[in-house]
Amino acid sequence: MAKITLDVFRFDEAVDTVPHRDKVEVDIPETTTVLDALEFAKAEVDGSISFRRSCRSAICGSCSMNINGITGLACKTPCNTVMDKNGTVKVDPMPNFQPMKDLVVHMDPFWDKYTRLKPYLQPPDKDEEHATERRVSPEDMKKLVAVANCVMCATCYALCPVVSVDPAFAGPAAIAYAYRFIEDVRDGERKERIAQISEDYLWLCAHCYACSYCPKHVDPNDRIIDVKRSAIAERVMMDERGPRHALIVSKTIKQTGMLAETEVIQGTIGRFNIKGLLKVAPLGLRMLSRGKMPPPFVKPIPKVDEVRTIFESLEVPV
Amino acid sequence: MSTTLLPEERPLDSHRRTKSSQSKRYGFFPGCVAKESCKELFNSTMLLADKLGIELIELTAASCCGASVVNDVNGDVARVLNARTYAQAEVLGLDDVITICSTCTGHMRAANKELRENEERMSQANAILGKFGAKYQGNVTVRHLLWLLIDDIGLDRLRSMVVRPLNGLKVAPFYGCHIIRPESVNGWESARNPHSLEDVIEAIGGEAVDYAGKTRCCGFHIQLEKDNVATDMVGQNMRMAQDHGAEAVITPCPLCHLALDGYQQDSAARWGRTDLPTFHLPQLVAFALGVPPEKLGLNKHLIDPRNVMVARELIS
Repeated sequence: MAKITLDVFRFDEAVDTVPHRDKVEVDIPETTTVLDALEFAKAEVDGSISFRRSCRSAICGSCSMNINGITGLACKTPCNTVMDKNGTVKVDPMPNFQPMKDLVVHMDPFWDKYTRLKPYLQPPDKDEEHATERRVSPEDMKKLVAVANCVMCATCYALCPVVSVDPAFAGPAAIAYAYRFIEDVRDGERKERIAQISEDYLWLCAHCYACSYCPKHVDPNDRIIDVKRSAIAERVMMDERGPRHALIVSKTIKQTGMLAETEVIQGTIGRFNIKGLLKVAPLGLRMLSRGKMPPPFVKPIPKVDEVRTIFESLEVPV
Repeated sequence: MSTTLLPEERPLDSHRRTKSSQSKRYGFFPGCVAKESCKELFNSTMLLADKLGIELIELTAASCCGASVVNDVNGDVARVLNARTYAQAEVLGLDDVITICSTCTGHMRAANKELRENEERMSQANAILGKFGAKYQGNVTVRHLLWLLIDDIGLDRLRSMVVRPLNGLKVAPFYGCHIIRPESVNGWESARNPHSLEDVIEAIGGEAVDYAGKTRCCGFHIQLEKDNVATDMVGQNMRMAQDHGAEAVITPCPLCHLALDGYQQDSAARWGRTDLPTFHLPQLVAFALGVPPEKLGLNKHLIDPRNVMVARELIS
């Protein structure tokens, strides 16, 4: 048994204007999960501490919270892996959400982004009578299994730095779930789904891999890349900056072996998009005044033909 | 709390020192940005190598690593481009390839891991490389200069080489996502609680600032995607750094450097003025090891770092 101090974020939107913290001491084995420690505190010390929980075994996805600065499932986190040297475990509500009561947050923005996906199959012949079930080969199903494991705990959404500054971004979970339908052979709205998730800022993912901490190994980071590839393959919203950027970067590498910064900036914004170019001009001028401008043209690397052979062998569409 | 693994505990294949590094000769992959808009990074790296007594041999025919963006178009091309670079390194007998960019590190390591762990991918790459007579044998290790400083030079030796300690300059580390995440690819230290940069800052006489932003994203890869998003990411992180007492920032990544150095002026409207000068890792280490400051390209930064250096009596 060990003395563990739970340092709990306390707030009730019905009565409080500012949050405060309570320290609750519990006497439990230090390998106890943070969720069980909270359950113990609620049962034995302070019945008013609020948090969401159900299955206690990483299946329901209810108990995601911020634990000593790290967001994850409380039921999957033993106290001794996170507590500081004084035996304190600090628990806060998930970041990127409005707190409702203590560790319970308003999940609505997260659910809204799911709802927009139409998260159910749209078979091409959905209005016709069907004599048999729609079959999927084990091979086709393999692609979907990892995402189907998503328990919608919102850990990835809470960790996402883009969501933290721009709530319009769909977030990792919704994009991964869009992938689950985009790649389902039974679904008939592949292109529409890609277009819809592109409108919800698919291309605003910052490639930071913060969502690689998914407690269910859905790896939304990799699924986001898959959806972007499908968007390019299906030529969806190709005039937007995201696909333009990916293609111009690839193109300059094919031509010179290097990522030619100047050409990439112009190509992404659009050479004739005067308004867009003017927007980046002040920074460009500041860089110029420091002699920090990238060269207008990049000299191809030695044996650049080899690079072109690689692009051509793989039939990269640039 | 997980901590940095000791060198002997680390998985051997992906972080080992190879024969070439024992002779202090390394393959050097500078990456595109150090050759284009951040030439001061390239120059200060070479000056630092001189001071450290190591030889960085540039892989001059190497291509871009794919910069995480090429992956959005095709899943194979970045891997094969990197296989080409590794084949060149092997021919030169330089199995130990050193990078100076977090994004290069992450993406080159990811490609290498796939090539070495998946025979199908290795033979796909070699089938294409074969068209121009190249072959990757799978012997290359990719490491960042930051890891070389700690593993090959050693913090104690680094400390003993310091001739101009930083007088307690409060420096905020900024890792850059791809040198730590995903942990399955990098794994040199805990991605959630890294401290290699802190260790280096302290070894050269600075004081490391602890703040939540140090492992967060600078927004570089989406700078052109939507107005203000990347700028806000910079502002948010620099606000945290300054609130925790930082006078300057250090980063092992030129992409982070471009974002932090370039966008703080614009982020001030929402996040308040921060104006934290951002050093490239080799700039500050080279300075502490006695390289004359005028050779480090400090005048190239948009937020001039010389002001805080004067305030700390590091330069006059």
